[in-house]
Amino acid sequence: MHSTRIFSCIFTLLLSGLVAVGARGKDRLGSEDVLIADEAPFFGGIAVSADLVGFSMKAFSSKFANMEVAGRLNLMEKFFPIVELGVGDCHKSGSENDNKFEVTSPYFRVGMDYNFNKKLNGNRLFGGLRYGYSKYQYDFSAPDFADDVYGTSEPLSLTDLDGRNQWLELVVGVETKLWSVLRLGWNVRYKFRLKQRTSQYGEPWFVPGFGKNGGNTFGGTVNLTIDIGKTARKHIKKKTE
Amino acid sequence: MKRGLRLSALLPLLLLLAACEEIDCSLYNSVNMYACFYSDGSAVAITDTLTISTGSSERVLLNRMTNVGNWQIPLSYRQDVDTLLLHVAGDGYQVTDTVWIAKTNTPHFESPDCPTNMFHKIVAIESTHLFIDSVTIVQPYVNYALDENIQLHLHSAP
Repeated sequence: MHSTRIFSCIFTLLLSGLVAVGARGKDRLGSEDVLIADEAPFFGGIAVSADLVGFSMKAFSSKFANMEVAGRLNLMEKFFPIVELGVGDCHKSGSENDNKFEVTSPYFRVGMDYNFNKKLNGNRLFGGLRYGYSKYQYDFSAPDFADDVYGTSEPLSLTDLDGRNQWLELVVGVETKLWSVLRLGWNVRYKFRLKQRTSQYGEPWFVPGFGKNGGNTFGGTVNLTIDIGKTARKHIKKKTE
Repeated sequence: MKRGLRLSALLPLLLLLAACEEIDCSLYNSVNMYACFYSDGSAVAITDTLTISTGSSERVLLNRMTNVGNWQIPLSYRQDVDTLLLHVAGDGYQVTDTVWIAKTNTPHFESPDCPTNMFHKIVAIESTHLFIDSVTIVQPYVNYALDENIQLHLHSAP
């Protein structure tokens, strides 16, 4: 488990370094032909992305992971309506007992990002909002569930407990062009719960798409994105030719 | 903007700091039924010796306590009805009343890291009437809350 955490730390730091270097390079290139985003076309194409952290966590047997892909539109290089679809997976054992919590269920988020970068230099600085929803079923077992006073012992096994959660996410992130249609970026998210419906037996430890259950939490993604369609840069170059 | 983008690359460090794991179990994680003695509508204490044991397994839950006005005991995880024997002994006398508590049992968990418990709902309560006059349910739900669940009304002194 510790190796997974160390890997996640190194992976995140490497990626954030890569993004920072990319952003620096693009700013230099963009100094000659800085263009105003207002000149961008209304529809600047579509993009699909995958969150590298979630899939990496799953590959390295982390106790939980949100594996997701996303699709988004580019409107005027400013507004980016986005849909995120994923599967949340958690297999958590008690640190001092044999209790087990398990959930594997889908979730979705819809929302919009706004690009605060006024220059068309390949970089985007995002601020955004998401609405998230997940309907899931979770299991909880306690094999050593014993009544010490009355001297009875019977394993506890609760399966297919129904739960539903709705939440909002405030998003801040950066993104840069790596090569051709390939882009890399990351974001951090402050998530807070709107509504929760869970079993009478207990609340889930982990909510798919939200993370560790609670009134609020932090999260984030590192996205590898394929940007398809005409970019604002190409559009304006054509216009000036 | 350039500086902002470079600085923003450090934000994942904050995320990593926020990702530290913690175990947050309830501070009060024992589930007990809370009972109080009353006489003539006022809370009273039994000055003689009180012993409470279970009817089935004859386990002693409260042993030779004196000056008891209220007490807390765990209910069984599996039985639908718990039988309690309340034994009071004083100078030259001893008397035992039996209390039957009908209840539902609902397992409760908070986190895999925390101990699992059993919550209860008291649905009915009856007793014999040697020194107990009547028993009333005040708060049927027995959980982590330290609420008064039942009141045992004693016979008035002659």
